[in-house]
Amino acid sequence: MSTASSGFSLKEWVFTTDHKRIGILYLIGSIAAFTLAGLMALLIRIEQSSLGPTIVNPNTGGDQYNVWLYFHGAAMILGFLIPGLTGFAANYFLPLMIGAKDVAFPRINALSVWLFFGGIVLALLTFIVSDPPDVMWTGYPPYSIRTGGNTALYVFTVHLLGFASILGAVNFLVTVIYMRAPGMGWNQMNLFVWSTVTAFIIQLVFVPVLAAAVTMLLFDKYLGTHFFDPSAGGDVLLYQNLFWFYSHPAVYVILLPALGILFEIISTCTRNMVFNYKAAVYGGMWGIVLISGEVWVHHLYISGMPDWIRIGQMVSTLLISVPVGLLTISLFGTLYRGAIHFTVAMHYALGCLFLFLVGGLTGIPLAMTVLDVHLSETSFVHAHFHFIMGIFAAFTVFAAVYHWFPKMTGRLPGAAMGKLGFWLNIIGVHVTFYPLFWIGVKGMPRRYYDYQMFPEFEPFHKIATLGAFIVAAGMAVTILNWIISAISGEKSPENPWKSGSLEWTHCPSPPGPGNFPKDVTVTADWHPYTYGKN
Amino acid sequence: MSALCRYLLFGLVTWTLFVGVPGAGWAEYFRQRESDLDQGLFRIDETRYLGVKLDTDVALIDQTGKALKLGDFVDKPLILVFSYYQCDGSCSAVNGEVIALLEKVIKTMRAGEDYRVLTLSFDKADTQETMAKFIAKLAMPPELKAGWTFARLADPERIKEVTEKVGFRFFWATQDKIFYHPNVAMVLTADGRVSRYMYLLVNSPLDMQVALMEARQGEIKPHEVINYAISLCYSYNYKEGRYTYNIPLFVGLGSFLFGIGMLLVSVFYYKIRRKPR
Amino acid sequence: MKKAFGLPIGLGALLLAQAAQAAEVAGKVVDPAKEWDHLWHELLIDIGIMGGIFAVLAAYWIYKYQAKSPDDIGTAPRSLSRAQMWAWAMVPAFIFMADDFFLAAKGWTVWNIYRTVPPNALEVKVTASMWNWEFEYADGTKSTYYVDAKEGDGLVVPAGRPVVLRMTSLDVIHSFGLVKHRLKEDVMPGRITYIWFLPKEPEKTFVTCVEYCGTNHANMYAPVVAVPPAEFEQWLKKKANKA
Repeated sequence: MSTASSGFSLKEWVFTTDHKRIGILYLIGSIAAFTLAGLMALLIRIEQSSLGPTIVNPNTGGDQYNVWLYFHGAAMILGFLIPGLTGFAANYFLPLMIGAKDVAFPRINALSVWLFFGGIVLALLTFIVSDPPDVMWTGYPPYSIRTGGNTALYVFTVHLLGFASILGAVNFLVTVIYMRAPGMGWNQMNLFVWSTVTAFIIQLVFVPVLAAAVTMLLFDKYLGTHFFDPSAGGDVLLYQNLFWFYSHPAVYVILLPALGILFEIISTCTRNMVFNYKAAVYGGMWGIVLISGEVWVHHLYISGMPDWIRIGQMVSTLLISVPVGLLTISLFGTLYRGAIHFTVAMHYALGCLFLFLVGGLTGIPLAMTVLDVHLSETSFVHAHFHFIMGIFAAFTVFAAVYHWFPKMTGRLPGAAMGKLGFWLNIIGVHVTFYPLFWIGVKGMPRRYYDYQMFPEFEPFHKIATLGAFIVAAGMAVTILNWIISAISGEKSPENPWKSGSLEWTHCPSPPGPGNFPKDVTVTADWHPYTYGKN
Repeated sequence: MSALCRYLLFGLVTWTLFVGVPGAGWAEYFRQRESDLDQGLFRIDETRYLGVKLDTDVALIDQTGKALKLGDFVDKPLILVFSYYQCDGSCSAVNGEVIALLEKVIKTMRAGEDYRVLTLSFDKADTQETMAKFIAKLAMPPELKAGWTFARLADPERIKEVTEKVGFRFFWATQDKIFYHPNVAMVLTADGRVSRYMYLLVNSPLDMQVALMEARQGEIKPHEVINYAISLCYSYNYKEGRYTYNIPLFVGLGSFLFGIGMLLVSVFYYKIRRKPR
Repeated sequence: MKKAFGLPIGLGALLLAQAAQAAEVAGKVVDPAKEWDHLWHELLIDIGIMGGIFAVLAAYWIYKYQAKSPDDIGTAPRSLSRAQMWAWAMVPAFIFMADDFFLAAKGWTVWNIYRTVPPNALEVKVTASMWNWEFEYADGTKSTYYVDAKEGDGLVVPAGRPVVLRMTSLDVIHSFGLVKHRLKEDVMPGRITYIWFLPKEPEKTFVTCVEYCGTNHANMYAPVVAVPPAEFEQWLKKKANKA
């Protein structure tokens, strides 16, 4: 248990078992990973802004660029998106939302955050070792086995971060199942709680498969086994199957909490009941859990898998649109007859609705085997998953920081700078990725530092690079805004957004040790999404 | 708290053993096998010939004297055996071996319906008589007879062309008065492309079954589902010329089950803990 | 449960679509790239309508339901009736599912064209290695392209005749990407993959590697040239003589 927060003590932070502090540690770590990965993105964009080697060393050109790509991908997905949503957001808000004093296993929670930091340090070694990993975040053999790059670093990063999130998953599932406030039924939980539960179920079931796959990679590269070596009985495609068997569900591990955050913000800022709550939970979220394990082959449509499975998984992949569609209807429907208050968080949330539409709908051609034959491995795919996974989920993390800023700091976030940051970000994102959609359809391959056979794409790359710098400016404004507001922002009232959720109605901002001054019980007619009734 | 730690630790150790031990064992296994491999004089460089398509217009004459074309055998997986009918030793042995392999395992796949077998002569001197004698010597069970064709080329000059296309080499030893040739059966896909080389004596009936399933290229009939599932557990080992276990598949499956186990532990944690020991 | 009802119906529809398509193609060689473009445009309309409905509705609501005062609260009913709840789940679910099966059937139809190699196709063996494409013709003639020196012919094919590629790799996974013909398939060590395309008239395009393969991944390309059939025969003869 944490001690009273009088003054800053490094020791208390390092050895903390308080879920709120662990949440903040997760936030700091993931924003650090995000910043570095973002800098890599800028380098990547600058490199592509003109034909031929631009800023890379022309003699070793590809190598440098490939390391940037590796770090950008691995740090964004494993270091920012998953820990940002299931580490930071779940840690800080989930126990508060269910009226719990802490998580079920506070010390396991502390172990998990330090494993996460260990993983971040391993990822950072990329910039120090002489043979940095260059295997992308996917690490396909046989390349990852033959490369001179340090595949082991990649494998151990995955191990540590995977283990951290397994611990988190066990912890939060037990917390939600056994530590809800007395009287809180399953249908009275915040949608963010539901989304975290479903995301952690996916994480818990599938992460071991990824860990096993990369472990075998390690054995192949350093111990001379032949798991994935086709010349000696290994199966060259099996790694890809195992990898995506985890890594496609992993996008739902990101998507679900992101949607959960959107539900919280949109419902609070429209002061409106979530539209068709039960359909969103049981149709949408659980539907995704059920289908998530049967769609991975859409990442292997061009990998020479048997035709029957390519067609079968085209159908199952398209069917993902059913649960996702139900969630979309609930999200959009919550706006209907609402009273929309345009907070900064709401700006991000509404922006996310649009990103979600574009990102989701551009996924449909990629689900269709034959269209994917042309589109896969092009910048169309790259733009698609940046919309739906990268930008969309990142925006929900920013929205979460803005929305719960008064909860975490007791101060209001600066609205003017916040909105400036938002507009820069959303404009920048569109300037960056629409040109990439366009040239993707025209055939621009991914992971190219040079594209001498496609000189006609150069102007598009230049526009995209410009967009990336607009986003960088927006991010700088945003992070600066957080720091300024945290230090000298206006003092916040207890419940600035007039939410009905437990973390706002029953505990002070910021919450002290033990979270709730009085034990919380809820009645049968209580619901987090009722407004203005009390 | 400590109880859960113990569960987790136990689980992770089990998992590590599950992944690690097969890994190390696999490495050891290969270290021993690599040296005593039969590289063989006639070993075919398989990767070079995989996917090669047979000339469909090559004319054949079968055991009944009927004129056929190689193209007539395209549309079902085909086991192709090159032999010469005046051969005393290895040829009947090779055909006998194929019979033995097919007899033993492939009860659910029917010769003639699900696949065919073609024995083709590569000796210019072969005639209908030598062919008939050769067949008479083989103890062919009736259920295989329907799907098995013996034939020779209508134009013996094309022999070299046909055999070399698929990498099958042979030569005549004048002293011993026999042909030296690899003891191999080729498995071809339903569209007439080379899929696998089955080295006889190295391969088990199961290898043959898996190769035939592979040749179906995913187009499976209902009664073959179990065979197909079994075939997924193996992957072809070029070094040994036979199928070996696809270990990563089992490791992946085990890890998946481990994940489900962890989920169950989390859901029933308190119930487990509350039980008196 | 919802899926359990939809699946058999959808699969039935798919089978019918496939049968119809097979009958149609029997006579002539269809250009897969053209079918792809056609399907792509249909899909754009499909997702455009879907996205448009949601986007316009959301924009209108965001405009219409702005809060009048800081204390304003939403007026949507606190809960839906049982019937409404089911209707709002099942009706959209079936609409989405119908669209899914519609798209799946369309996609499968074109996919079958992609996977059905015309019988008269010219067969070329493609061997990929880090970072080079090598093409081998039926008579054993080999052709390649050296990116650094910008030398070599690459893949030369006769115009008007379908070309089927039998592809394998010597080292890591590569992918044969032919933008012009909307075509892509991985090239793996130890396995053979196939694709075919139809160069309708003389043209000059190129193949790029589209599966990440290391340092020179971005420079692993080769020209793909379609020439008149007579010219192709000449070229092949010349190439064979040289070797």
